[in-house]
Order: sequence, then C-alpha cells, then structure tokens
Amino acid sequence: MLTKLAMTGFKHRWRDYLVLFSGLIMSSAIFYMFEALATNHDFLKQNTGISMIGMIFQFGSVLLTIITLVYISYANSFLLSMRKRDYGLFMLVGARKSKIGQLIWLETLLVGISATLIGIILGTALTAGISQILINSLGLELHHLAAWYFPAAAVTLLLYVGLFLVAGLFNLIALTKTPALKLLHSNDQPNRPQIKPARQLIEIIVGLISIAIGYWSMGHLKQLQLMGIGIALVTIVLGTYLLFNAIFVWLMIALKRLPVANRGLNGFTLSQLSFRIRNYTKMLSIVAMLFALALGAITVGMGFHSQIPLMTNSNNAYDLGLVNTTKSEQQQIAALKPKTNITYHFKADKKTVYYQASEFNQHPFTTIEVQDKAQLSYKTVHNNAAQIKKSGFNYQLMQLQSGSMEAGTPVFLSSAAYQKLAQPEQRLTIFTTNDVVQHRAALKRLAKAHFHTTDVTNFGGRYASYVMVNSMYSGLEFMGMFLGIAFLAMLASCLMFKILSGADADKHRYAMLAKIGTTKHQLRSAIDKEIAVLFILPGIVGIVHVLFGLQMFKIIMITSPYTGIWLPFLIFAVLYLLYYLITVNIYRRIVLQ
Amino acid sequence: MTTTPIMTVTDLHKTYGKAGSKQYEALKGIDFDVQPGEFVGIMGASGSGKTTLLNMLATLDQPTSGEVTIHQQPITHLKGNQLADFRAKEIGFIFQDFNLLETMTAFENIALPLSLQNTPAKQIKTAVENIAQQLGIQEFLTNYPNELSGGQKQRVAAARALINDPAILFGDEPTGALDSKSARELLDLFTKINQEQAVSILLVTHDPFSASFCQRILFIKDGQIGQELQRGDLDRSDFYQQVLDTLGTFEQ
Repeated sequence: MLTKLAMTGFKHRWRDYLVLFSGLIMSSAIFYMFEALATNHDFLKQNTGISMIGMIFQFGSVLLTIITLVYISYANSFLLSMRKRDYGLFMLVGARKSKIGQLIWLETLLVGISATLIGIILGTALTAGISQILINSLGLELHHLAAWYFPAAAVTLLLYVGLFLVAGLFNLIALTKTPALKLLHSNDQPNRPQIKPARQLIEIIVGLISIAIGYWSMGHLKQLQLMGIGIALVTIVLGTYLLFNAIFVWLMIALKRLPVANRGLNGFTLSQLSFRIRNYTKMLSIVAMLFALALGAITVGMGFHSQIPLMTNSNNAYDLGLVNTTKSEQQQIAALKPKTNITYHFKADKKTVYYQASEFNQHPFTTIEVQDKAQLSYKTVHNNAAQIKKSGFNYQLMQLQSGSMEAGTPVFLSSAAYQKLAQPEQRLTIFTTNDVVQHRAALKRLAKAHFHTTDVTNFGGRYASYVMVNSMYSGLEFMGMFLGIAFLAMLASCLMFKILSGADADKHRYAMLAKIGTTKHQLRSAIDKEIAVLFILPGIVGIVHVLFGLQMFKIIMITSPYTGIWLPFLIFAVLYLLYYLITVNIYRRIVLQ
Repeated sequence: MTTTPIMTVTDLHKTYGKAGSKQYEALKGIDFDVQPGEFVGIMGASGSGKTTLLNMLATLDQPTSGEVTIHQQPITHLKGNQLADFRAKEIGFIFQDFNLLETMTAFENIALPLSLQNTPAKQIKTAVENIAQQLGIQEFLTNYPNELSGGQKQRVAAARALINDPAILFGDEPTGALDSKSARELLDLFTKINQEQAVSILLVTHDPFSASFCQRILFIKDGQIGQELQRGDLDRSDFYQQVLDTLGTFEQ
C-alpha cells in the first residue's frame, strides 16, 4: 500500500524527478567519460609519452570525486525536500517508522542506481560520439581509445552506489528522527544574511592566501613537480570556497544599499540571492572550478592544436618531393593549387645526386632556418645553388629526394659537366600547398600511391613532419578537448540542477508578485538577472583561475600557452551563454505558468 | 445614493469545465455596487462561490460572462501589462496566508509595489514610514516575515496593499489565520482606515464576527446573492447578532 502511495507521489512530481534524474545521469555519464580516459593506462601512455600524465589524471579523479560528493549531497537534499511532505503524511496516517525507513532507503538507492546505470550507458555513447567528432574534425591519431572500458564503468558504479548508500542512510536518519508535523511544514526558513566582519575578513585573507599559493605552485611546476598540482588543487578549491562565502554575502548587502536596489524588482532579486547564499556558495565554488577546468582544458587542447602547423611548418618549406611524377600525379598536384611547384632534373649514382646549378639559380630552393626554438620562429631563405652548398641546409633538399636517393648528397654542376654524366636523367618535383593540414587527405593519397606506404619514415617534407607531429600531439589535444567538453557539461548540469531544483520553491513567490501587479516583462527580467548573477560570478573566478593555471603548461608546450587564447575563450563564452539561455528558459517555464 | 459607485458588478457568470464536458456553474449572475468609502462584506459557506467571485473582482480570474468595472474602467478583459498596471495602481489585496515574500524584510515587502513603479528611493522611504506608523508596525520594518507573528504579518500585508492608495482593498479571509485578539485588532484597523481615509473595502469571509465590522453584507449561496444586510446605525455587537440570525436562517 505504502509503495503504491510512494509511486503516486512519484507521478505527481515527475517534473522535479526529471530534473533530479537528468542531473544525476549527466553527472555519472561525465564521471564515466573522465574515468574512461583516466583508468585506461595504455591509452594514456601510448598517446602522450608524458610519464606524469597518469598521476595528473589521478588528481583529476580526486577532484571529480569531491565534485560528485557535493553534487550528490545537493541532489539528495533535493530528493529529501520533495519527499518530506509525503513521508510526513504517511506517518500521520499511521505508517510505521521502520516501514517508512525502508521506503526511503529503497527510493534513494533506486533513484541513484538507475540514474548511474543510465549514466554509464550515456557516458559510453558520449565518449564514442565526442571522440569520433574530435578525431575526424581535428585529424587526430589515437591508439587504444575505447568508449566502453570496463574498469571505468566499475569505478563509476562503485563510487555512485557507495555515495547513495551513505545518502540513503542519511535520509533514513533525517526523516525518521523528525516528527511528522515538522515534516509536513518544513518550508525553507530564510537565514538572515549577516555580516560578521571579523570572520569574513579572516575568510577573505585565508582565501586570498590559499589562491595565491595555488597560483604560485602552478607557475613553479618545474621545481615542485607533481606536488605542485596537488598543492594547487587543495589551495585553489579551498580559497575559491572561502572567497565566495565571504564576499557573496557582503556583496549582496552592499548592493541592496544602492539606490538601484529600489528600482523595479531589483530589490526582490537581491533578496532572492542573499536568501540562498548559504546554499549557493558551495555550488558556485564548484562551478568556478569546473569553469576553470573546462576552459583550461579546451584552451590547452587548442593550444596543442595550434602548435601542430607551427612545428610542421618549421621543418621544411615543401609538402612533398616526388621523383619522376606521372601525368596523373601532376594533375593531382595541380588540383591542390600549390603556391610553388618546381621540377628539378637530376642524375644520380649511389652516393650522390647531381643537379644543374642553373636550374637552382633560376628556381631558388627555399629552406627554413629556425631562429628561436622556444617561439618556433623561423625565416625562409631562397637559395641558389651556391647558397645551398654553403648554408648547411641541404638536408632539407635531401629529405625531399625520398626513396632511393634519400642518402644522396646533392651536388650542383654546370650544364656542361651535367651533360657528360652517363646516368639517366630523372625529375624531382617539389611543391608547397597553402596549408598542409587542410590538404592532408589529398597529400596522403598522393604519398601512398607514390611511395606505396604511409610510413612517414620513408619520405620527407612538410607533410611527413605534419604526420609525425600530429601523432605526437594528438593525445594531448584530444584529452584537452574531450575533458574540456566533459567539464563544461558537468558545469552546466551542476549549475542548472542547483538553480532548477530551487525553482519549485520560487513558484509561489512569482505568483504573488503577479498578484500585486508585476508585469510579465518585469518578472522575466528579474529571473534573467538572478540567474545571470549566478552564472557570471563563477565565470569571472573561473577565467582568473585559467589565466594563472595556463602557467602549468609552459613546461610541455613549445610556444606560450597564452597564444591565440581568445579563440577558446570565445567558443567557451558562446557555449556558456547557451547554457544560460537554456536555464533561464526552463526556469521561466517552471516558475511562470 | 447619487455618487458614482467605485465598483459595479453586472450579471457575472463563471462556469468551470469546457463546453461539452461536465460543467459546473460557480457563479450564476451576480449584480451589486460598492460605493466610494464603503465597507462591504461578502459571506457564504465553503463552496458558495465567494472566492471565485473575489478572484473575478480582483482580476485574478476571468468571468465567463458579465462585467466588472472599477473606477468606471471595465476590468474583465484587461490583459498583460494593462492588467498588471491595473493591479498595481487600483487594487490592494490581503490574503488569508499573508502572501509576504519571506526573502524580504517587512520594509522591502511594503515598498515592493512602489519599487515596481520605479518610485524614487526617498519617496518610497517616506511612504513606507507613513503607512507603518498608521498601522503601528514601525518597529518591525527590518524584520523578516518569519520573525513576525501572524497579526504582525497581516499588518505588513495590509501596509503593502495600501501603499499605492488603491481604489479598493480586497480582503480574502484576512483574519482566517489569526488568533482572536489579532483578528480583532486587524478588523479595528480596517474600520479605522475605512473611516479616516475613506478607503473602500471588500471583505470576503465566512466568519460572522469579521463580517459584523462591515456596513453592508451580501450573502452568497450556490453562486447567487441570496440576501443583503445593511448595518445602518446599529451597534456592532447588535449587528453581529443580526448576522448570526440571518446566517441561521440563510443556510437552511
């Protein structure tokens, strides 16, 4: 009978359960996505060549576990608040406490486990989908990536079931110890926002010091090694929380004193925010951390991506060198609309390749001279025959003499001397497209048909170095992008969940405002503003974290990790805005009916 | 009386349920006027239609047919911003469950209707302090609703309803959640603002004691006005007796 009653409560509040379920499913799906990389040691080792990477992922797992802990505690209190009235009612009609205890326990576990299982399935699908998209659109080369990875699923299930067991126990105690009448009337009581200057000052100081330590250790990873990441993790999480805790209250009270607070519904919005401060500080700190992680990961991913063409271009001025091209190969080259397309004639024996100096004087050979290894800046030099001989950059020509002449030293002869050689004349065609990354598919076809292999040790040029650099950086790039997307999804689900789970309690407030003559427009803009504040605050903190956090990548990135930073920031801003709009929309739909 | 009524209700009908399905007629043609400065009570048992009627009058719901005008303005077809503006400027509303925003202090709650009109902060402050003084709630202004007693909350709600100088004040069982002492104080307050400031009041109640503070009572039964009682020069306690007698026969 009680089970039946419990089910009707379930049906009655399906909308709230939908918020709860989708939140939990997203959370476990993302946890799985992360673990699918973190627990897959083969994948990590094969794709990065960085020994530290395994440990970094361990730290990531710890952080994500903390986030999950807070997330589930929120989800659980949301579940509890939904059910309090129902359970109070059951008690009033004379249900036994032990029976109710069973029900609560069962419900919590049922909700938790089913959400986790669906989450793991969704996580597998997301891992497969996102990695396919990334691999295809970025042209990545990855090994040992598995969307379905059993250890990851096991870790996810274990953590979530464990947490829900604890949550169920907590609910059991909380509900059965509370008198029935109190359960029936347990509406949120507002806690008067208070300024306790001494405490807040200490919080601010400790918070700032912690964050400073965190920033400092991220900038000094070379000395601190892995410890630095650990220190930064603890201090930044702590500092962010303390700062939010101290400043948010103070900010709301200060804003309320401004004349602006008296205009329209501003006062109401500020009151709403300060009413929820205690509830929100934890979530806002987490969101700020996730924001930083997501934005940081995407920035780093894109940073590696932008290094690929840089490194590629600093290797050789020509995409490929082909010997004795056929007509169809020439057509294929022409179809690429190359910037340069030169054919030199040569005669070769085992050790030497003989060119005519006149051809090189007429069509100079371009070499690349790296000037600053840290910045990967280089200049291009157009060489005639004499210059190539002198410059010591003739290996760049040798790279292009792929195949049998690979080891042949180029020698430049006068036309008369060249004519005297008995060897048959051959042709070397070298060309440069405007972008090797863009034409990678066509270049691959060309190389494969010509050299009968795709192994880049068998030929040289810009395309070959692209393939090598790409396979070196693909892993890091993929991890950055993939984790960035995962953290972004987690962030959205955290923030949306927190905001939407409070929407039900807001319904009557907005209804009341409508009764005393508030226009729809005013109500809408009040909602927009309230949610905007909740989005913007962690956003600002997150951006600051990222700007300092990028220091960490100075060790493994060749160029500055801050190069071209506006692009990932812009992409991220657009996605974040999208989340904001979705949240506002759902919130409006719940609150204004 | 020759003055223009502050509110006129003409042949008001309300039917619930869509045509074709099972319908229920909650109001079956209601007609009455409220004169400026009048204190009118509407009485009826649960299910008599009095809350439905009040919702139509206060623009919270739309009638199936008929018309309500307040200040010569027909209100039944107001929509959107017009409706919101009308509510904000012309009517004050006091609910049984106070309907205060628990996230805001008493002051902020009272000031809300003025803030909505973007009244300057200084003016708001004076207005709130004035009304707080009249209603004797100066010392609670910085408190949150959950720090106030029921009676105090209802006074705050009254202050919020009155701050815009509404044409008419609606009360929906405003004493319903109060103890007898607070209820009496609130009703005395209503009488005071009605007499001193000539605010028109329309009180919906099923409590004869509350109703006895009115000058005129309309008894509603099964969606129609069944009887009307004028207090005239009667003493309040005598009128109370009369209300009780009327109820005794009316509900038979």
